[in-house]
Amino acid sequence: MQSTLRFDTAPAGDVMQVCSVSEVTGFVKKTIEGAGASGVWVEGEITNFKHHSSGHFYFSLSEAKGNKTFTLRCKMWRSSAREVPFEPENGMKVLAFGTFSFYEPFGEFSLTISDLRPAGKGEKHLLVLQWKETLEREGLFFPSRKKQIPSFPRRIGVVTSPTGAARRDIEQVIARRFPVEIVLSPAPVQGDGAHTGIVAALQKLDGAVDVIILGRGGGSFEDLFEFNHPDLVRAVAACKTPVITAVGHETDTTLVDFAADLRAPTPSAAAELVVPDREELILDLRRQHQMMRRGLSRRLDDELGLLEDIRLRLQPRRLLRRMSDEHVSLADISERLKRAVQTGIERRRLALEKAAAELQAQNPALPLEQGFAMIRRDGVVVTSQRVLAKSDHIQITFADGSVDAIVTGEDTDEEKL
Amino acid sequence: MKKNYEETIGELKEIVRKIEEGEAGLEETMKLYERGTLLVKTCEKSLEEAELKITELQSS
Repeated sequence: MQSTLRFDTAPAGDVMQVCSVSEVTGFVKKTIEGAGASGVWVEGEITNFKHHSSGHFYFSLSEAKGNKTFTLRCKMWRSSAREVPFEPENGMKVLAFGTFSFYEPFGEFSLTISDLRPAGKGEKHLLVLQWKETLEREGLFFPSRKKQIPSFPRRIGVVTSPTGAARRDIEQVIARRFPVEIVLSPAPVQGDGAHTGIVAALQKLDGAVDVIILGRGGGSFEDLFEFNHPDLVRAVAACKTPVITAVGHETDTTLVDFAADLRAPTPSAAAELVVPDREELILDLRRQHQMMRRGLSRRLDDELGLLEDIRLRLQPRRLLRRMSDEHVSLADISERLKRAVQTGIERRRLALEKAAAELQAQNPALPLEQGFAMIRRDGVVVTSQRVLAKSDHIQITFADGSVDAIVTGEDTDEEKL
Repeated sequence: MKKNYEETIGELKEIVRKIEEGEAGLEETMKLYERGTLLVKTCEKSLEEAELKITELQSS
């Protein structure tokens, strides 16, 4: 009977064809559901949103056009609703993908939605805020979660577009500062669904390198949008390997930046942060070597000084000084002794000389040696001419002997002298 | 770059500190100096040997 049901022609003549309700609803259901089986993307504004305790979403998609309003009833089963990465709100512009349904008990047409996305920039900004709150609640942004970036990584993983400027910048900076091994895990960096490719690229590197740079060059909010996706943010937070994010320019912030262990303003800056400067390291090594050399040489000087000090202290200076003191006093004593002896001798010699002189002075022979003679008469020394008379026999004694003589004259003073 | 560069440089800095502060005996200081010189050479060598190598994984 359903197969004969026709709506395109009016009932023929007086033959009135009567259908049961179920015949009609059945026909409608079959027709509608057949037409919408492959699904359709619909853009509209959410109204009458209900998040049922069962987990299903019930809402309407509305459009106001001219002075008329158009509405589509929508439902989204729990299995799809829990995949929606945001909480839909009334007034939000969305893109919904759904198939047509006709619910016969209520005679109601609706869309069964399987994918729901925010439409329009404003909605996406709101969405990012929502995601941020959710992820924050999950604790993914806690500073305590941040891993230490290794100072001297040997293998650096890079997740970015293989054809982008970010890749070139990172490779150039690393080649210049400190050439190491770079493992590129290519990923799409923009466009719907890019986040799944990024997550896969990250997971390939996780654990296989020392550090991962996740980056892309600058772009619009829409271009960078995928870097806000909760799946990607969670994947970054879950990485065992430290992750540095460098998405866009300095002023761009995406949610992965909050989950990353370090956020760099640009891909070039990430490369600067990830490797040390080799020239600086070499200079530092030389400095260390120099410090060591100086330290050792100072140490050797100290030890030598100490040794010299000990050597000096080991000499019996006090004993030497005492011995030298003794020497001095001994010499002194001996000197004094010598002087005393000499003085004694001298004194005696002088006394002797004086005595000898005195003795000499009293020697009667002394004048005789000078030409004087001694005259005696009868053995008695004559000291005056007055006692002598003519013809007296006298004895004249010279130094070398005596002669006998006779006085021949008187008072010839001049002659006698 | 060779393994443990970070540890090697850490050991070197510790040696420099010990020598500078003079906390080791003279003989030990001389041994530390020898060890330190060796570490400097090792580090320099690994720095000089570092080369850029780029591999690209297959995208899924």
